[in-house]
Amino acid sequence: MIRKLVAAVVILGIAVAAAGWFLSAPDRLPEAVVASLPAGDAGRGEMVFWAGGCASCHAPAGAKGDEKLSLSGGLRLETPFGIFVAPNISSDPKDGIGAWTPAEFADAMLKGTSPDGENYYPAFPYTSYARMTLQDVSDLYAFMTSLPPVSGKAAGHELGFPFNIRRGLGLWKRLYLDSAPVIAEDQLHGDTDLSVLNRGRYLVEGPGHCGECHTPRNVIGGLERNLWLAGAPAAAGEGKVPDITSGDGGLSGWSVADIAYYLETGFTPDYDSVGGEMVSVQENMAKLPASDREAIAAYLKAVPAH
Amino acid sequence: MRRLVLGVAALCLTGMTAMAADDPVGVRKQIMTSVGAAAGLGGGMMKGEIDYTPAAGKAAIATMAAAAASFGSFFPEGTDAGDTTASPKIWEDAAGFQAALDKFAADAGAAMAASGKDGPADLDAFKAAMGPVMGNCKSCHEAYRVKK
Repeated sequence: MIRKLVAAVVILGIAVAAAGWFLSAPDRLPEAVVASLPAGDAGRGEMVFWAGGCASCHAPAGAKGDEKLSLSGGLRLETPFGIFVAPNISSDPKDGIGAWTPAEFADAMLKGTSPDGENYYPAFPYTSYARMTLQDVSDLYAFMTSLPPVSGKAAGHELGFPFNIRRGLGLWKRLYLDSAPVIAEDQLHGDTDLSVLNRGRYLVEGPGHCGECHTPRNVIGGLERNLWLAGAPAAAGEGKVPDITSGDGGLSGWSVADIAYYLETGFTPDYDSVGGEMVSVQENMAKLPASDREAIAAYLKAVPAH
Repeated sequence: MRRLVLGVAALCLTGMTAMAADDPVGVRKQIMTSVGAAAGLGGGMMKGEIDYTPAAGKAAIATMAAAAASFGSFFPEGTDAGDTTASPKIWEDAAGFQAALDKFAADAGAAMAASGKDGPADLDAFKAAMGPVMGNCKSCHEAYRVKK
């Protein structure tokens, strides 16, 4: 009797492990999508680069001006899951992404999968980038491969068990990698032109990846989407990332013009100044066309208060 | 307009006279409030929302200069605890904080010199003087303030 029980448990264990193995397999774009990747334009790609905030993590800490285009990596993100170190994503063919194909770049951005078929940690915010269009991804690839190569690989992540098991992220992705919009069109309140709200939604939920900092996370690091943009503890240190929904804890006292002005200059309606990690974000936003900042502002004013 | 200028000057004076050594956190918050008011006045004029006068320009610049000269004196050890947004970095990177203060003071001092007795003559002169001063807000706040 006991022997049968042990055998049943062992077989069950093997079945669960096998299921886990298959369920956590790296996700890649389908062949048909890869074949349809459009040609990229580096000029448009530069705007995607600033909207996506790539330099804020992948350029050296405190980089200003042209230093922001030197994507050597090395920045350390100290989080409750361990320390993530941003890699070199310059056009260097050995130490950066210079040897990557457009399809490999798209798999990284939209599926969080490396050219070697490994899962990326969501400290790289592919859960937001997954909402980007193929055109924007191709344009970004064209721009990034035109940037100067920087040699030298960055250090590896410093993660403890169980977070150092990359394969496990395949299961995490099944729960949290979703390219559908967070806020449905019919939930966006307000009387702004829908095309403006949709542009704002795309920028905030996609390349802008605002939710990754401004939304609270659960114990395994998934975003709590019912508290979208409602504010969260800072990833490192004691600080707080503010509520930027339209509610009273957030931006209820700000107009669309106030928000757009803040993104352009870093000054709040009371002439307090932007600070902390948001400075880098604001400097990126300042490079976008005014219509994009206004669209972001319109979307934020339309996000339901939590 | 005159009331606005007098109001900013009064704010500046209040900050200076209330230098109670037993409440450094309170005093430095007052100084920052006066800086915000000066930025609001300066920003409003640069945006064209408030009419520019040399006296108003001078009041905004003078407030910034007084704040830059005094602010650094109100960070004794241990005051990063409690009801303050001062980051521990201020003490961990004291040299960096002092460098940022020195730059703020230098930019504000240059603006004061450019103002002369009556203030910058027109809005363009004001923008040229005040612009670099207001660029300091972001760089200090990036490293040395923690939102709580």
